[in-house]
Amino acid sequence: MSQLCEDKELLEEFLAEATDLLDNVDDDLITLEKDPGDLEILNRVFRAIHSVKGNASFLDFELLVAITHKTEDVLNRLRKEELLLTPEVMDVIMEAVGLVKLLLLDIKHEEMQDRSIDGTIKRLADILNNLNTPTVSLPDNSTPVTEQPPPGTEPDDLIPAADSPLQPKTVYPVATEEKYVGNSGKQSGKPPQAKESTKDEAADTSTVRVDVKRIDDLINQVGELVLERNRMLQLHIEYQNTPDSAIFDEEFTKLTKRINFVTSELQAQVLKMRLIPVGNVFKKFPRIVRNLARDLGKQVNLQIFGEDTELDRSVVDEISDPLTHLIRNALDHGLELPDERIANGKQATGTIVLSARHEGNRIIISIKDDGRGIDTERVAAKALEKGLVTAEQLAEASRQDIFDFIFLPGFSTRDAASDLSGRGVGMDVVRTNTKKLNGIIELKSEKGKGSEFILKLPLTLAIIQSLLVEVNGETYSIPLSAIIETLRVRKDEFHSVGGRKILPQRQSTLTLLNLAKVFGVAGEKSEREYCYVVVVGAAEKRLGLLVTRLLGQQEVAIKSLGAYLSNVPGIAGSTIMGDGRVALIVDPAKLIELGEARSSLNQHHF
Amino acid sequence: MTSAITNKQIGYGNGAIIQLVIFSVDNEEYGVDVLKVREIIRMTDITRVPNAPEFVDGVFNLRGKVIPIISLRKRLSLPVVDYTRDTRIIVIDLDNELTGIIVDSVVEVIRITTDDIQPSSEGTPDDGNDAIFSGLVNRNNRLLILLNLEILLNRCKNASD
Repeated sequence: MSQLCEDKELLEEFLAEATDLLDNVDDDLITLEKDPGDLEILNRVFRAIHSVKGNASFLDFELLVAITHKTEDVLNRLRKEELLLTPEVMDVIMEAVGLVKLLLLDIKHEEMQDRSIDGTIKRLADILNNLNTPTVSLPDNSTPVTEQPPPGTEPDDLIPAADSPLQPKTVYPVATEEKYVGNSGKQSGKPPQAKESTKDEAADTSTVRVDVKRIDDLINQVGELVLERNRMLQLHIEYQNTPDSAIFDEEFTKLTKRINFVTSELQAQVLKMRLIPVGNVFKKFPRIVRNLARDLGKQVNLQIFGEDTELDRSVVDEISDPLTHLIRNALDHGLELPDERIANGKQATGTIVLSARHEGNRIIISIKDDGRGIDTERVAAKALEKGLVTAEQLAEASRQDIFDFIFLPGFSTRDAASDLSGRGVGMDVVRTNTKKLNGIIELKSEKGKGSEFILKLPLTLAIIQSLLVEVNGETYSIPLSAIIETLRVRKDEFHSVGGRKILPQRQSTLTLLNLAKVFGVAGEKSEREYCYVVVVGAAEKRLGLLVTRLLGQQEVAIKSLGAYLSNVPGIAGSTIMGDGRVALIVDPAKLIELGEARSSLNQHHF
Repeated sequence: MTSAITNKQIGYGNGAIIQLVIFSVDNEEYGVDVLKVREIIRMTDITRVPNAPEFVDGVFNLRGKVIPIISLRKRLSLPVVDYTRDTRIIVIDLDNELTGIIVDSVVEVIRITTDDIQPSSEGTPDDGNDAIFSGLVNRNNRLLILLNLEILLNRCKNASD
């Protein structure tokens, strides 16, 4: 094992470049599988691996060199057309690339582990050893593929891999009709993949690549700010010398407008620098879907839209896990096996559409499948069986409510937990992560037709749009991204049910929470007949917050409350208002949780 | 032996010179290490934080940073009184985390050597909170009580968990 390179800078450069190259390699490999004849892509991949090998050898990373060297050899034969690119070969190449990524991660974390690369090297070597004919056979850890190519299609023979102690080989011609992902034969087990990409790979958080244009824009804007600052200094001096209020007023007003504008622009630009395209997270899904589909024996067409949609890197980190789970879910639970699909009059290949778009100041990510949809009866029955809901609650539950059951911790309609899902923890994680991001998750589904999960997330975490409200004289800020609507209601429209105040709405009832009581704000019982309700949503739940008055919308910078107060329930942080006072930012998700807890304990009203 | 214990509490070498900020709370004088004092400011608007620990009066805006404020009277279980013109906020910096403590008045900054520090006896009127007091200094017939800021403020942190 080589020593870690002393020169930190060199190392970081190497890592950055290698990671970049490999990211593109992943994409290229998937494209290549669809179109194995594309020499340009093949060459690109070859050059990338070659580069990584060169750099790795320069820095003495022996394991890396060994793997990349063998992989490069295979790729070389491929591009010289001495080797045919079959799914098995592709598997091994992907395995090798995965291993390279893993090794890179090790280097990055400065933990040189003893990764066993021998298996992969062997498989690569085996490919290389069978060069004499255009076909290759690949010793697989799996059982032989059940489907055999129809006789007479290709002049292929079974080539024994000389030193392979593994199972009988099969021949797999590169059939041009092979679908993008998956094939109709079921393969159990695959060559051991390198660990699924960790969070680090999806979005590297320690550094960020910024478009030079953005930096230039930023510099321009800072220049503008400097000019305004100079103007301000000058105005000050002028006023000192000749105090003319009228002129000062006029000039100052103009200055205020300009500084306001320039600062807003500056702020927008800086925030932009923290944005990365959501495609960074999306790009790992083609591979996941491909592998998963093969495992499950399903045929899937994954469509991705809106990869260029940008969001804050902090958000990107957090959505990676939930999205992965939702995609797995769609594949595992949503899509049916090809036979079942055909029997139901659908195409054998299912479609999953992953899309992202901006809407206002939010980003909307949707995962839609045309599978079997959510069977509300099954869900309801399962929820009842697991004791997650009572029969009474079930009786009052609407269809949408039943959908929400799947987010309950411990829920799963899979009887035997497979490796991928069914442990009943996944959906809960999705909801938790969405809540952490102050986002909302919606679910649409139609039995037999398919389901759609929609994540609505705010664009950034540091500065938010908020609604300022007054509660008995105290000012609070509620994040706009969590607000569904605001209502002005007469006090006599409330009803009291079991100690909670509720408000009947169009299709359901809304539970209310009196912020004055929750936050202990003393104040006179207002004589007004009207008051305001701010309806907030977190994940799939809704709650109405009772406030005295709405003050208006304002963009606020979130400031943490510090170590002592980070655990105060219901308060997410603080911000500083224009007049210097501190206003507290409400945590709607937490309040919703509290609201639920209290109501279930049937404590006295709010 | 005694100085060894005290030195361990204060953390300085034998005979080293340290500076203390002396302030008054409920007619007792206390001292804290000047190196941990970021600044001293007058009373300002405090925003109340609901459901916070009892001795946390709230938060305030210190040039753009939101800092929690602790009432020393409440922390030491002393009776609470109204603020006066002499009431001050001492902003403490512990590991780059700022906290403000409200005191009745700030008296002075003095220089002492660690030899001057005597251990606080068990007779100090504060049950179970002895570790807060890291020592006593007798100066010109005034008794100054030294406070251990880490413990004073950390206990608050744990209590809020």
